[in-house]
Amino acid sequence: MVNLTDFGTVDKAVDQAIDALPNHTNRYGYDAWGFSPEVAKRGYTFGKRVFLPYFRPTVTGIENLSAGRVMIVANHSGQVPIDGAIVALTCLLHGKPPRLVRAMVERWFPNVPFISDFLFRCGAVLGDPVNCRNLLLDDQSILVFPEGVRGSGKTWAKRYQLAEFGRGFMRLALQTDTPIVPCAIIGGEESIVSLHNAKTLAKWVGIPYLPITPLTPLLGPFGYLPLPVKFRIHFGKPLTFSGRYDDEDSVVNAKVDTVRSQISSLIEHGLEERKSVFY
Amino acid sequence: MILVTGIGGGLAQRVVARLLGSGHDVVGVDYRADVELSSDIARIPVYRASYNKSAFEDVFRRHDFDAVLHLGRVGNLAESTGKRFELNVLGSQKVMHLCVQHNVRSLIVLSTFHIYGADPRNPTPIAEGEPLRAGFEFPQIADAIQLDNMAGAWIYQHPPVRTVVLRPTHVVGPNIQNTMCTLLRQPRVPYIAGFNPMMQFLHEDDLAGAIIAAVSGTSRGVFNVAGNDAVPWRTALAICGVKGFPLPSALSRRLLPTVFRQPPYLVNFLKHPCIIDDSAFRHTFGFRAALQLDETLQTTVAEARSSG
Repeated sequence: MVNLTDFGTVDKAVDQAIDALPNHTNRYGYDAWGFSPEVAKRGYTFGKRVFLPYFRPTVTGIENLSAGRVMIVANHSGQVPIDGAIVALTCLLHGKPPRLVRAMVERWFPNVPFISDFLFRCGAVLGDPVNCRNLLLDDQSILVFPEGVRGSGKTWAKRYQLAEFGRGFMRLALQTDTPIVPCAIIGGEESIVSLHNAKTLAKWVGIPYLPITPLTPLLGPFGYLPLPVKFRIHFGKPLTFSGRYDDEDSVVNAKVDTVRSQISSLIEHGLEERKSVFY
Repeated sequence: MILVTGIGGGLAQRVVARLLGSGHDVVGVDYRADVELSSDIARIPVYRASYNKSAFEDVFRRHDFDAVLHLGRVGNLAESTGKRFELNVLGSQKVMHLCVQHNVRSLIVLSTFHIYGADPRNPTPIAEGEPLRAGFEFPQIADAIQLDNMAGAWIYQHPPVRTVVLRPTHVVGPNIQNTMCTLLRQPRVPYIAGFNPMMQFLHEDDLAGAIIAAVSGTSRGVFNVAGNDAVPWRTALAICGVKGFPLPSALSRRLLPTVFRQPPYLVNFLKHPCIIDDSAFRHTFGFRAALQLDETLQTTVAEARSSG
């Protein structure tokens, strides 16, 4: 059950996992991006107590996530970035050694008060190539959704079909000699179902997309509450690429397609295995 | 002999004290009328001249300078845009021409990291080659951006003058009277609710050390200068021992410039991080900030705390 009574305390497993991370913080307990192990312990404790009992994620292939710099490349879905939070929780609690995944947030996100600040303390970072490069050179692990908002804003009809991938992540991986761990996230598409993207209204409000869920007409804002679907996270074998990072788009695209098809087959496999959306 | 512009400022005087200590002769100049020198440097000749006026040329005719430390950038927005353009852009251009004309070997130009702007799209850390985003929202800062760009261009346009442009982070210290120090010395210091950006601070003595390192070195270029470590704004306030209070983001644009006399472009620095990468300067000039962050911040507010 979700236990909110001991919200103030830090979960033991979270505490140990964060203490086991390589220390990149200064004498005041922060790294340059604003990560704070003390705040992150509370953030991850909240995640563990709320998200894990609700979405009951299962994990396969976590052994593919080794120590050292790594780029986790995953499919994006579910309108709000619950998928990122679950992958981050998984890597911290199940990774051997525990990994702090630096999730890349959208460029408009730092303008959101309180939440952006909290997520930066928990390890999130503005999704900028310079940030990615600096983190990878620092031997950290980053989580990338190359579909961006094209992925998270997907409507029901396009569920589990990968949108177009950007090339930036591949150029960075080539430049910093970083292995890519493909990752399939199953369950996100059913957590918040979008029947329609109200593009004009979204543009008006200044957000990248605005989903209309089947429950929106009935419940209004409560229609956006995620359903208690079961999440399944599948990590694939690490892929290493070689070649020039500044090669022509067509050359880089071929490498991007390798990653994309790996994730695609992980998704396909995961969907075949799944007996029910909810358990 | 070394010429120091902006001699009325606390930083310039710290630098001069060090130069005198190591046996240099120093001449000071300032455009302001009421320049008061601290007792340890009172013996140096001081001229009053606007950097863009011909009276300033006489200073170069009367003395033979090896180096010029152009620390006299006017950051004070109380001066009109036109006046700041004259002093910062035209004045600095004159400084450069005089350096070329009078065979000055080294020119150190004090720019600022404000020109990067605290933009939500900033990467961390920001190296010298990154775009300067401050102008987007605050065209008033154009003079500072132009001064920096112009000085950067001199590096290759006038190779006989070894030019070093320094972009320090928030400069603080007991003798500094800039807006950041004024803010920290308030009895209650505002922060913007829901935002707590990472910040760096540089003590006046460390910046003085950096300027000395730049003038004694042999390299040229544009360099960020930062102190040790970065902390969130509210942690900085806690280190200072001051109490903070929240301002709603929507009101901060109005209140900070009026009630707290913060230049509008500094409001964003309380909202978004602007962490600079100072590794190039450290490596090139073998410089390292001597003071830790606690000391840097605490000495800045010590007097205000004890008297208030």
